[in-house]
Amino acid sequence: MISDYELIMRFIKGEQSCFEQLIHRHKNKVFAYISLYIRDQALAEDIFQDTFLKVIQSVKAGKYYDNGKFISWVMRIAHNLIIDHFRRIKQMNTISNDNYESDLFNSKRFAEDNIEDDMIKRQIQKDVRRLISHLPDDQKEVVILRHYAGLSFKEIADITNVSINTALGRMRYALINMRKIMEEKKITLTLN
Amino acid sequence: MKPMGLTSTPFISYHNIKVKDIDLFEDAWGLNSEFCDVIDLLGQIKAVPGRRLTKRLIEKIRKQD
Repeated sequence: MISDYELIMRFIKGEQSCFEQLIHRHKNKVFAYISLYIRDQALAEDIFQDTFLKVIQSVKAGKYYDNGKFISWVMRIAHNLIIDHFRRIKQMNTISNDNYESDLFNSKRFAEDNIEDDMIKRQIQKDVRRLISHLPDDQKEVVILRHYAGLSFKEIADITNVSINTALGRMRYALINMRKIMEEKKITLTLN
Repeated sequence: MKPMGLTSTPFISYHNIKVKDIDLFEDAWGLNSEFCDVIDLLGQIKAVPGRRLTKRLIEKIRKQD
């Protein structure tokens, strides 16, 4: 498999398709990360696109230096765009992000199920989102990066500027906290 | 005295150990086994960008050039 760096180099030299390969390679991680923070789907899609457009700008401006951590760098760009968004909201003093209802999970797979199953699944997903939103920010970030962006703990440690052990510790606390909330709120785990 | 090693478990080679898609740090901490209930719950959410979104993004990038 061609490395991310090689694809970037070829893109800089004019091979457009190489950046498209990078998008296909990393799009799920980036989108999952953004959409777990941003509930409004349209907004999440905008930030997703802006992330890759900013990546291109930076690459073309020679701001990317390869250290084998392309995806960590992309995630950091996505993270900064998310922060910018929340800052703007705060400045505008508008309604909270929580008030948006996401339709993220309205996939074809679910359309094949019956309505009752669909409703239960949506409820579970809502509960899971709520569960994650109750976590302290540092724990929430590790959970999202690991379980939705699919990053390794080494990559998470790089992105969050902590040691691998600290990242693992945060995950452990996050899981303990989530279990505690699940027990308190009696959240059902699966479909029957 | 019995000779040693006759009933011991044979060693498996490194190649037989499944390490693909496993984060060895996470594995060492035993997070997946200790918290499988919570992790199963996290797995209920799947967030994947739609094909149209990816297509739109690629078109935007092509237009920029």
